[in-house]
Amino acid sequence: MSKTKTVDARGLACPQPVVLAKQAIEANEKIKVIVDNDTALENVKRLGVKSGCDVKAEKKSDGTYEINLTRKAGAVEAKEEFIPSCVATPAQSGPFVIVISADKMGRGNDELGYVLIRAFLHTIALQAEKPDVIIFYNTGVLLTLQESEVLDDLKELASAGVEMLVCGTCLNYFEAKEKLGVGAVSNMYDIAGIMSRAGRLLVP
Amino acid sequence: MKVQPQYSVMLFKAVSYVLKAEKILKKEGLPHKLIPAPKHISSDCGICLRFESAMQNKIEASLLNKVEIEEIREMTD
Repeated sequence: MSKTKTVDARGLACPQPVVLAKQAIEANEKIKVIVDNDTALENVKRLGVKSGCDVKAEKKSDGTYEINLTRKAGAVEAKEEFIPSCVATPAQSGPFVIVISADKMGRGNDELGYVLIRAFLHTIALQAEKPDVIIFYNTGVLLTLQESEVLDDLKELASAGVEMLVCGTCLNYFEAKEKLGVGAVSNMYDIAGIMSRAGRLLVP
Repeated sequence: MKVQPQYSVMLFKAVSYVLKAEKILKKEGLPHKLIPAPKHISSDCGICLRFESAMQNKIEASLLNKVEIEEIREMTD
């Protein structure tokens, strides 16, 4: 009964490796699971801990992992259902984009919304993690004008290297192109392009 | 980098007081800025008015008997 059962889960898609490991540890005292990715490694380790096993994981020179699970004496069966996580850590590919689509934050009360958007932009300007790009359209462009009450915050962001794209059609509509105080006049090609490529898109 | 002026913040009991004070200061042409209340300062409404500390007397005078101010504090950072 002390023979080690080996589960070779290389090449299998999540959640297959952890499903096979679970079946194996239910039928055996000791198992060895071989996996080839971090998600499977973490899932099998979590399974081991949850089902009352000693867990030993080892990285092999070929990039695979061997995880040894040994059921502890008197270990009780896991009460809660084990839920494997198949979400890999998302790769941050595209730029971090903030879209200011109005001179208000949220819907409902405009006066309050105007308070909130000013507080939001001030906070973003102070924050260490700055966006790569801020896009302004519709009434959002009003915040970029010379008389804007958040002009200082936006200028600070611009000087910290944040790219500011201001919708030209919108400036034209509000007859405010001459009053632009920060950022570059942009167009829908750039705006739609950057929004499409964004790794993260935040719309307050 | 330009030298940052010394700022103070004015705290109020409610958002409506902040807005009322802001309207008065705008009308009087007294420079100020609405910002989120700094984290280390407890505030019920979460926003406050920031102004250059040198302006405090003028600002206080313009709000006297019009808006109830809860507290004025110098900003440390």
